[in-house]
Amino acid sequence: MRRWFFGVTLALIMVAPVVAVADEEGRASYLQLEVIDPYVDVRSGPGRGYPIFYVIEQGEKVDVLTRRPGWYEVRMANGRTGWSSASQISRTLQTTGEPADLPSVSYGDYLASHWRVGFNSGQFTAGELEDSDTFSFLVGYRPLSWMGLEAELGKVFGSEIKGELYSVNMLIEPFSDWKVSPLLIVGRGTMSIDSQPKLVPLEIGDEDFTQYGLGVNYYIGRNFVLRGEYRWSEVDTDNNSESLEVWKMGFSTFF
Amino acid sequence: MENGIQHVLLKARSLALAGLIATPMALAQETEPSAAHRIDSEVFDLGVTAGVVNIADFNGEWALGVSATFQASENFFLQYNFLQADSSPSAYENSQGLLFDGGDRTFRHYDLLVGYKLFQSEFFADEGRARLSSLYLVGGAGETRFGGEENFTTTLGVGYEVALTRDVLVRLDYRAYLYDSSLVADEEQSVTSNQLSAGVSYLF
Repeated sequence: MRRWFFGVTLALIMVAPVVAVADEEGRASYLQLEVIDPYVDVRSGPGRGYPIFYVIEQGEKVDVLTRRPGWYEVRMANGRTGWSSASQISRTLQTTGEPADLPSVSYGDYLASHWRVGFNSGQFTAGELEDSDTFSFLVGYRPLSWMGLEAELGKVFGSEIKGELYSVNMLIEPFSDWKVSPLLIVGRGTMSIDSQPKLVPLEIGDEDFTQYGLGVNYYIGRNFVLRGEYRWSEVDTDNNSESLEVWKMGFSTFF
Repeated sequence: MENGIQHVLLKARSLALAGLIATPMALAQETEPSAAHRIDSEVFDLGVTAGVVNIADFNGEWALGVSATFQASENFFLQYNFLQADSSPSAYENSQGLLFDGGDRTFRHYDLLVGYKLFQSEFFADEGRARLSSLYLVGGAGETRFGGEENFTTTLGVGYEVALTRDVLVRLDYRAYLYDSSLVADEEQSVTSNQLSAGVSYLF
């Protein structure tokens, strides 16, 4: 039973945000924006391959209905609907006269107060788990632009080793406005490692560990990031402590 | 027994974690004051898949699965997949007897993938109606359980996606699952299981 639990947990976490998003449907009043650019293109669909069928003029007001990555569905004064790129819709004003405050428009620090989900994969390079493969599912929240918190559910696979890892990490990223930005990882977690066959005695069984690491974030597009990292961990075993090293590469998206 | 208790504790810990993650997510959505909050975001889709998986050193079997996709940008997406198939006796097993039985005969696989939409275009099934379509590549990591083995798996694949209606996506996928197995040999060897599948997803 335990074996499937990890998979099911992943599925549940993936579904959780869907439920929250679905709740928002069916509200009557929409965000109204006034176009301040000379014009805004309106396409028939949310993709750069769709043709432009209408042009919204300066001063015209539109309702914003739906968001897809990089695109907004708008309803024009004549009642027709179409899709405009997020970058064009960002140069509009709210009815209060303030700039548009949209989920994917960069005003101020867009990384703060955002959730992120992602995964990574890598390999242990030193210690008792050397040469074992690993992958993890990540969920994070960023209260401050330079600091994020992340929960990690991971699995370890070696030729004679199987196990699970759970950890909570703090990510410190001082230059988060750079496209390629360094980060520091500090965290604490617990691991449950089994050797199979059980002939090989392992120092590490069910233990807590502390880890720290260095990484680099590469922001591909607005809300998609590639992260490479190297981590060192100290595992508190019964007798003393064991050191582990691991490299990881992964993708995350924030929303 | 001790092991059993630890597993229950681990379970409880991860359940609590899942709860912690889900609750503030819902709260954050509700309390956000901006009018932008009312914009419906269409970035998640959930789907089912059916197809054939060729289990390495065994037979081709019908496989059923589920997938959850998060559209990160116009080009990139992240996807979780789970699939399961029951394996019939292989030709070797028919003459030599089953190598394993019971729950071990079920092939199970899950993975976390990143996808890149390589060619995005409009697709015209009939006149006057354009449907968004794309050819995409996926790659990632996951786990395959079969024959009592649990193996780290690298997944590579290519797929084609067409939006049938605004909310309904149809996907055709090829996936290669690469892992090490010692089911039919004494030494571990690298094997590839292949999968061809069709899926339908609903975009929220």
